[in-house]
Amino acid sequence: MAAMLAERAPLPRFFSRGALALVLGLYTIYTLGPFLWLATMSVRTTAEISADHYAWPKVFHWEQFRIAWVDSDFATYFWNSTIVVVGAVAVVTLLGAAAAHALARYRFRGNRLVYGILFSSIIFPPQITLISLYQILVDYNLYNSLLGLTLVYVSLQLPLTVYLLEGFFARIPQDLFDAAKIDGYGDLEIFRRIVLPIGMPAIATTLILNFIQLWNEFLFAVVLITDPDKRTLPVGIRAFMGDHFQDIGMIATGVMISVIPVIIVYIFFSEKLIRGMTAGAIK
Amino acid sequence: MAVVTLDKLSKQYGPTGPVVVDKVDLHIGDGEFMVLLGPSGCGKSTTLRMIAGLEEISSGRLSIGDRVVNQVPAKDRDIAMVFQSYALYPHMSVADNLAFGLRRRNFAAAEIERRVQDAANILGLTPLLARKPSALSGGQRQRVALGRAMVREPMVFLFDEPLSNLDAALRVNTRSEIIKQHKRLGSTMIYVTHDQVEAMTMGTRICVMNAGRVAQIGAPLDVYWEPADTFVARFLGSPPMNLATAVVTSANEGSVARSQSLETALTRWSPQLLGKLVDQKVTIGVRAEDLHINKAALGSEPAGHVRGRTIAVEPLGAETLLLVEIEPGVEWTARLPRHVPVAIDETVDLYFPANAVFVFDAATGRAVIGEKRRDIRQ
Repeated sequence: MAAMLAERAPLPRFFSRGALALVLGLYTIYTLGPFLWLATMSVRTTAEISADHYAWPKVFHWEQFRIAWVDSDFATYFWNSTIVVVGAVAVVTLLGAAAAHALARYRFRGNRLVYGILFSSIIFPPQITLISLYQILVDYNLYNSLLGLTLVYVSLQLPLTVYLLEGFFARIPQDLFDAAKIDGYGDLEIFRRIVLPIGMPAIATTLILNFIQLWNEFLFAVVLITDPDKRTLPVGIRAFMGDHFQDIGMIATGVMISVIPVIIVYIFFSEKLIRGMTAGAIK
Repeated sequence: MAVVTLDKLSKQYGPTGPVVVDKVDLHIGDGEFMVLLGPSGCGKSTTLRMIAGLEEISSGRLSIGDRVVNQVPAKDRDIAMVFQSYALYPHMSVADNLAFGLRRRNFAAAEIERRVQDAANILGLTPLLARKPSALSGGQRQRVALGRAMVREPMVFLFDEPLSNLDAALRVNTRSEIIKQHKRLGSTMIYVTHDQVEAMTMGTRICVMNAGRVAQIGAPLDVYWEPADTFVARFLGSPPMNLATAVVTSANEGSVARSQSLETALTRWSPQLLGKLVDQKVTIGVRAEDLHINKAALGSEPAGHVRGRTIAVEPLGAETLLLVEIEPGVEWTARLPRHVPVAIDETVDLYFPANAVFVFDAATGRAVIGEKRRDIRQ
C-alpha cells in the first residue's frame, strides 16, 4: 500500500506545480500585457494607433522619444520630477528614520500619543488636506514652487514612513544599543552606525514605496503648480490630453520615459525590498 | 586597582514603583571573579546593568577603582560587557565587531590591528575574521562577544548570563574558556547567572541574591556548606536541600530535634545555644547526597534518620534519586547509588551523619550557626 502511494505521489505534485505555473503565467501576462502594449504604442504615431490599436509597430518611431524629450519639454518635466521626488524622498527617509528610531527606542512622555496622531493621519484620505495645504503654501509664498511641492510631499509620506520603520526598528534588540553605548558611541552615532545599516531593508522598502508613490503623484502637483516650466512628469503627460484630441502616441512615449527611473530604483533596491518585506518571517 | 564597591545600591522604577534592587552592599576585590547568582527576577541583572551604566541608580553609591561613578556614562566607566544575546553588530564582520569600540576611542590603526589579531589568536577566531555574525555558530558568536570585551582591556569585565543560549557541551567549553581568560588577564570580572553549576565552578566568590537583596556572599563551597538561610540552602544544590519542621528537645545524651517522621541529634551547636531552642520549632535540613538507605554506608553511627513512603525512584545511570514523602505534602529526595532495592509505596528509613544536619530558625529561615562544618566527606 505504501509502495503504491509512493508511486502515485509524483502525479498530483506534477499537477499542483503545473497549476501554480499556469496561475503565475496568466498573472504575468495580465500584468505585463498592458505594459508591453504601452511600450509598442510609444514607438507608433497616434495615426497608426488609431488605425489599429493592437498592431505590432511596422516602423519603430524612436524619434518620438527625442520629440517628447526636446520639443515637448519632457526634459524639464523629468528634472522637475527628479528634484521634487528625490528631495522629498531623501527628507522623508532621513526624518522618518530618525522619528521612528526615537519612537521605537526612547521612553518619553507622549511617545504613544505622537505615534497615535501619526497613525491616525494615515487613515484619512490625503485629499482632505488639499485646500488647507494650498492656503498654507499661498501664505508662505511657496505656491507654484518646487520647494512648496517638495514640502507637501514630505508631509504626505512621512506618517506612513514612520509607521513602517517604527515597527521594524522596535524589533532591533536593545542589547545592540547597550553594547554600542559601552563601546563609547553616543545616540546620534548609534543611529548612524547601528540603526541605519541594520534597518536598511526596511528603509529600502519605504524608499521604493515613497519614490513610486510620489513619482506618479498627480493631484497635488496639478493643484499646487500652475507654471508650465515647473510641471512634474504626470502633469506634463496630462498636457497631451486635449478636450477634442488626445495624442495617444506621445502620451505613451511620455509614460515610458516616466517609468524608466522607477524601474532603475526598483532594480537597485529590490533585493533589500524583499528582505524588508520578509523580515521576521524566517529566523 | 579595579575594585568595585556597591554601597547600599538600590533601583526603583518610578517613585511608587517596585524596588527591584534593595540596598545591595558588595565589595569586589581587584582581580576577583564575582558571580551574582539568583533566580529570575531577583535583581542580579539590574545590579549588573547599574554597574555597567545602562540603568540609572535610584540610590546608593557605586565606585569603580577609587572614583564614584554614579553619574559617569557607560562609555567612561572603563568596563566591557558580554551579553546573553551576544549583541554582535549583524552588519559588521567579526574583525569590525572586535575593532568597533577601539575605533571610537581613537586608537592607532596598528594598535587596533594588533589587539584584534591577538584576541583572534587566543580565541581561535583568526579564520573567521572576515565573516558576518550570521555565518557563525552560537559558540563562535559567544567567543567573538568575549573577544570584543577583551580587546578593550578594560578594568572590569561584566557578563550577563553569557552561556544561557549555548547547548550543554558548548557551555562547558565556553565556561572553561572564560575561566582561562580570567586567569590570563587577572582582571576583575562580575558574572551574572542563574545556573549554580556555573557559579560554583567559576566564582572566586558568589553573591546569592533573592528578591532584590543579598542573601549571602562567600566562597562557593562556604556558601554551599554554610548557607545563611533556607533560600540559599535550597537554591544551591541539586536536588535542593531537604527541609522539615521539627521541635528541639533536650535528652540526657544531648539535644535532639524530632518530628513525626524525623529524629536527629544536634551535635554541632553549643549547649547554651541549644538551651535557647528547647521546645522551639526549627527547620531541619539535610542534603540529598547525605541521605543513605544503608546504615553501613555511613561508616559510623548515624546522627539521625527520617522515615517515609517512597513515591518515585528515578534511575539516572550513575546514581538513583529516591523521592520519599515523609509527611503529607513534605517530600525528601535522596541521591543514592545506582541500585536501590526499594519499590514504590514502600516505607523506608533514610540515615544521615551528624555533620549533614542544618538547623534554621523556623520563623525567619535564618541559619542557626553551629561549629564550622568540616568537609562532610572527610
